[in-house]
Amino acid sequence: MKSRGYLFALPRLLARLAGYEVCRAELSAWEVYGFGVFVFTMACVVAGWAIWPFVRPGFVILLPIAVWVAFLLLYYVNFLLAQLLRRLGFYTAVTNNPLQHFVIMALMTLLAAWLIVAGNPWLRSLGVFWCALVALNLLALALLKILHAP
Amino acid sequence: MNARRWFRQFAVRGVFWRRYLDFGVTNVPIYLRTVMIVLWTCFFFFFAAPARRAILSNLAVILPGSSRLANYARAWLTLFHFAWTISDAADHKLARTEFAYEVEGEEFLDQLAAARGAILLTAHMGNYDLGAALFAQRYQRELHVVRAPEEDPATARHLDESLERASGGGVKVAYNTSATALPLELLNALRSGEIVSVQGDRAMPAVSQRKAWLFGEVVRLPDGPFILALVAGTPIYPLFIWRTGFHHYKILTLPPFHCHRAGDSREAAVEAALATWCRTLESVVRRNWSQWFSLVPIFPSR
Repeated sequence: MKSRGYLFALPRLLARLAGYEVCRAELSAWEVYGFGVFVFTMACVVAGWAIWPFVRPGFVILLPIAVWVAFLLLYYVNFLLAQLLRRLGFYTAVTNNPLQHFVIMALMTLLAAWLIVAGNPWLRSLGVFWCALVALNLLALALLKILHAP
Repeated sequence: MNARRWFRQFAVRGVFWRRYLDFGVTNVPIYLRTVMIVLWTCFFFFFAAPARRAILSNLAVILPGSSRLANYARAWLTLFHFAWTISDAADHKLARTEFAYEVEGEEFLDQLAAARGAILLTAHMGNYDLGAALFAQRYQRELHVVRAPEEDPATARHLDESLERASGGGVKVAYNTSATALPLELLNALRSGEIVSVQGDRAMPAVSQRKAWLFGEVVRLPDGPFILALVAGTPIYPLFIWRTGFHHYKILTLPPFHCHRAGDSREAAVEAALATWCRTLESVVRRNWSQWFSLVPIFPSR
């Protein structure tokens, strides 16, 4: 049977249900290319919506650059947080990626919740879509644990 | 540290960016790397103007008749692949990430690994640092890698440490300068049965070189590998590694060739071997122009 590796629990569970042998991996190209673009686009949409009343329309062109810089700052703040947690003995992973992942996902979910509460119908549906993805992924994670799957 | 030295670390080839790459590999979740690499590629596409111009001038020769606008897009793609390959090399060094690779010409790779003294001739193509580390690990053989010297000594130190760490000490780096000690050191290594890896697609000033024909243009290429092969009597194995997808590489090993005197003069033997290498390089670069990371102009007439 052909083995498939995914980073996230949801595609692992779906592949398993489709009859594939699955493993946890960082080798799924669509997650790397597709999900990253989705996260970044969503951050741009939220930032654009939040600043729209305060800036000239031309600024929208610079939005990806502004979001990029915001991400770079976020990585650095999370890095400092990881350093602190390492010193206190609460964090021992080889890289800071797991912590960065947790913080970014938590922040994006907060932003999605904000869209659901305050956004227009289109943005609300985007927020619902994100929250549904996160919920399904957590559910898949729990199911895979119960099934003792990788 | 004076102000000039302090600013030098932020130059395109400065150590700041190498350290930042290490930071990125250990701090950017894998799914966000593509977006970050795309944005950093755009940044360097605009700010690393000499490298961009060099790629454009090389592309004009490799792909004759191609439009300038299309070559700008190709230059961006080349920098994008370059960003991925150095990111993957850092990933392997710091997080011990495994990479999938397929080998074409496995029998020649096995021959090379078993050889008592050989020259591995490669180009600034794909992930040669990762390739060297993988080779040293796979075959448990020490590899002497000859590199062009870095402009910034701190960058050179960082690269040396990275390569030695990634290969578990299996890769020894030597710099291709005008020093006479290096050829003797390499000759001794070859005679004692070791493998020497040289990048034969770019000649540094003050390093032994000669005229050759590449893509129908006159270029200057290093002749050191061929003189070494002639003197040591060792075969030359052309080997290339390039990226085929996310965390996927392809290694191409071609049949070895020799630099024999066979009655001719030493000059004729070296020129014949250099011509063989040029034809090999042309065929591989033509297929993989987007991963030929020759970030300096190769063709003087352009």
